[in-house]
Amino acid sequence: MTANMARSMISAEFLKLRRRRGIFWWSLVLTSGTMVAAFTTLVILHLNDPGHYGPAGGVKNFTGSMEALIGLGGVASIMIGASAGAGDLGAGVFRDMASSGRSRITLFLVRVPGALLLQLPLILGAFVLATVASIVLAGSDPVPSATLIAQYGGWVLAGTVLELILAIGLASVLGTRATTIGVLLAWELIGARLLQHFSFLGDVRKALNSTAIDSLKPGGPDLLPMSVAAAIAVVVCWAIVALAAGAFRTRTIDA
Amino acid sequence: MNTSTPSRSDDLVVDIRGVTKRFGARTVLQDVDLRVPRGCAFGFLGPNGAGKTTLIRVLLGLVPASAGEMRLLGHPLPAERAAALARVGAIVEEPRFHPHLTGRENLVVAAAPRGAEAEGRIDAALARVGLADRARDRVGGYSMGMRQRLGIARCLLVDPELLILDEPMNGLDPAGILEMRGLIRSFVDEGRTVLLSSHLLDEVERTCDGVAIIDLGRIVTQGTLAETIGPQDNALLIGCDDLALATALLGSLPTVTAVAQSSDGTLRVSLTSGASAAGVNRALVERGIAVHRLEASRLSLEERFLELTSRLGAA
Repeated sequence: MTANMARSMISAEFLKLRRRRGIFWWSLVLTSGTMVAAFTTLVILHLNDPGHYGPAGGVKNFTGSMEALIGLGGVASIMIGASAGAGDLGAGVFRDMASSGRSRITLFLVRVPGALLLQLPLILGAFVLATVASIVLAGSDPVPSATLIAQYGGWVLAGTVLELILAIGLASVLGTRATTIGVLLAWELIGARLLQHFSFLGDVRKALNSTAIDSLKPGGPDLLPMSVAAAIAVVVCWAIVALAAGAFRTRTIDA
Repeated sequence: MNTSTPSRSDDLVVDIRGVTKRFGARTVLQDVDLRVPRGCAFGFLGPNGAGKTTLIRVLLGLVPASAGEMRLLGHPLPAERAAALARVGAIVEEPRFHPHLTGRENLVVAAAPRGAEAEGRIDAALARVGLADRARDRVGGYSMGMRQRLGIARCLLVDPELLILDEPMNGLDPAGILEMRGLIRSFVDEGRTVLLSSHLLDEVERTCDGVAIIDLGRIVTQGTLAETIGPQDNALLIGCDDLALATALLGSLPTVTAVAQSSDGTLRVSLTSGASAAGVNRALVERGIAVHRLEASRLSLEERFLELTSRLGAA
């Protein structure tokens, strides 16, 4: 396969996602929309009662906005990834793609960069909004340092990209967008969080994707600390397993 | 089974030998042999559930065969699948698209894995099927006929040597069917081969040069249309005002070998070889019998199809 063809296939994946208006607008609301709403609220509160509510910016509100972004950006990433993974199967188009003669592994793999092309600008846009607001609206509070901004940027990126890859892999296995979104949200919001608190599981809990992402948070996790190297290894393993499962299913499914 | 189709693999766009497909314990295709000659419209007929679509899916590599050998455009499958499919356009079952994309965008998506040349053919393909004016509308708003035409446009992206069309007349109105028939014949005139899977026997008879009939996962006959229908006897269908008198008269003629009255009130009259309809007509009119219908009785593909498939079903 030539570079031009790879570029065309990735562009086609991006086109399919970009034109899904529901996914696009909900993702925008969950990322930049949330940041705009949060900082606007903080500004209004500060202007109304400066003695009780501090400036809308500063380090504290920056870290709070990042925690919101990794959560809500993760939800947006799951929606985008599920659409990328199950879009062709759901529309019944996979049969035509498979009969093009192109390798099914290639058909699967191009979903990842195609989805990233939509997801990354949304996450980056929200991140820039939150960072600028945290600096401009800091008032007398300390502003986040370049190091802290970079660390949180990396953390948000790792968390949301992992969710995207998990969603692409799972959706390619299940073949349905809605089920994938439901399963992943249930896992992230309930399943993984419950397991993190089951102390009898010991260090097994460090193999959870959410534990690893929590460990990469600047300043360390509230629960189950682990080394950065180990956390990265866990994240990479989850990504590889998701991609391998999605690729295997795409290669073997009857079209 | 008829065997007059070409045997040299160079002349064949599809050459299937001994293909079997099982889904678990269920055998859907049993030792199928199919040879489709180059440059013709070839009908692939069978009752619902006979295995038509499964054979197409196997041929396109959408599901693996359990046994057998296949060559597509001279390429062995699955070894040279990518090379074989590079010049094959196919619609399997109904044409499906992303409903949130426009017709043109769907073709952009379809062209992406097929290379830059395919992308360059999008506008011509849309124009060919008469969808240029609606190319910027979402496919979700297309009628079934428009989707069928967009499916054909998608096939044309690869400048196909072989088009595999699975029930392309489904959902089309009479004008659409006529248009589709014209399109198929125009593809053949351009030197392409069309493999037309259908249960519309009349359409296949009007459109195709060759035909294969599949039933219960086996090919029961294949060959040219004339070979498949079989030899036609010299017979007439006659409608007249006095059936009893006509039956008696015709039975006495030396050129008539049999007279039978059918349920629709016509007489089926078998003639000796070389006997003409004019002679029979003259005899009837000279006896004062008013003839309001006189036509050659031809065995149709439908009759042959029903004969073959019911025979197998009863076995």
